[in-house]
Amino acid sequence: MDYRQTRVISGKGTGAHQFRESLNGIGFDPAGRLYAVGDREVKVFDGEGTLKKRWETQQPPYCVAVRDDGSVFVGEAGQVEMFDQSGNRVGAWEDADRFGTVTSIGFHEDHVLIADAADRCIRRYDKTGKWINDIGKDNNTKGFLIPNGYLDFSVDETGVIHASNSAKHRVERYTLDGELLGFFGHFGMVRPENFPGCCNPTNLTLAGEGKLVVTEKAGPRMKVYDRDRKLLGFVGGDAFHAECKNMDVAVDGQDRIYVVDTVRLSVLVFESEGGSKP
Amino acid sequence: MKKQPTRRDVLGHVVRGTGLLVLGGAAVHLVRRANAEGAWWIDPTKCVNIRLGATGVEVCDLCATDCVLPLSAIRAVNEFSECGRCCICPAYYDVRSEVGPDGLPSRKLCPRDAITREAIGEVDPEDPLNNFYEYTIDEDKCNGCGACVMGCKEPAGLGSIRLEVRYDVCLDCNRCTIAQVCPDDAIVQKAIDLPGA
Repeated sequence: MDYRQTRVISGKGTGAHQFRESLNGIGFDPAGRLYAVGDREVKVFDGEGTLKKRWETQQPPYCVAVRDDGSVFVGEAGQVEMFDQSGNRVGAWEDADRFGTVTSIGFHEDHVLIADAADRCIRRYDKTGKWINDIGKDNNTKGFLIPNGYLDFSVDETGVIHASNSAKHRVERYTLDGELLGFFGHFGMVRPENFPGCCNPTNLTLAGEGKLVVTEKAGPRMKVYDRDRKLLGFVGGDAFHAECKNMDVAVDGQDRIYVVDTVRLSVLVFESEGGSKP
Repeated sequence: MKKQPTRRDVLGHVVRGTGLLVLGGAAVHLVRRANAEGAWWIDPTKCVNIRLGATGVEVCDLCATDCVLPLSAIRAVNEFSECGRCCICPAYYDVRSEVGPDGLPSRKLCPRDAITREAIGEVDPEDPLNNFYEYTIDEDKCNGCGACVMGCKEPAGLGSIRLEVRYDVCLDCNRCTIAQVCPDDAIVQKAIDLPGA
């Protein structure tokens, strides 16, 4: 299946819709608005890629996620900041012992899952911010192997966590209690379905019909796998700046794929040939 | 009969002795300074093997081939604090070689087999992909060819390996033969605090 780039949102610059130095994370709210975080800001774009809102964060942000009730969670170093839809700061979870570098946030029912790339694990909290358990830490390496310094995951509708264990070249599946259910993926530099280099995939997200979308570094690629983890298609080559790494990825309600170019500080939108629904 | 030294004589000796000490100290300082200014150094912002942004290019091995010494005075150095301790280190393995049944590349990258690795921490003996590894460079084998430096460079690796001049080996030639051929003018003289200088 072929994917083609259809749009570019934001970019490097000093304009209100642009990022000056960093663009690290993206996510969608239930209404289909795109949230992008970088520098020290949250920027909200509508479906056409037009900037609708922006506000400042306390620390440089690494990731963003929006809960069904519209609460915006922003992951930073040492804390998770929360905002309402208008950008008003409604609170923060501070946990110096458990929030080293928050690089991914997800939700399942009343649970909030937070990836701490510094301690190399995913932490489960209840909706009030009370810690419940850690995921991916009960092993001989005491956490995920992520030399790339970024831990990304996605939660499916049944509550299974799909997490990138990049130095193992695997995407692992865990229960909310932290039990490892299995994994897929192998190291390989030749066949495109395999994961190359020292540590890939770096980022991932789940898409419709059980699909999995991942991004890789050196060289940068976006790949789509079906429910059985058969490779459906990929985009590489000149689509991304060659120095890109840890490219966050998100999927909207039409299965359009959004990938962060971390050097050009833009969000690239991809659609499968013949329509957005493959 | 031996003449007793006068106070004037004693003072003269003291002044001359102090003067000699000052002159000697100044000479030592100047020699040290001259040595420091003459030290050859690899500019990491110029060397194609080290500098960021130079990806997808051929490794330059002139440091290995053009030193006047039989084994070049330049070595690869792994900064442990920056190393990711990867299972499949792109500086240790030739990641483009065929993958073996153990899931690992079948060939090493270093042409002189100068890098060794050891699983560290709580080791999983069953699965080599399930461990951290410490990578050590054998300086008796390394000739500074730069292959591992290029392999570890960002974004493929973390850039923990770099090339350095080993000053206990370097002859500090007036005209460094590597500097004469370096296409990036990356071998330059710089004031460096040398150990023992």
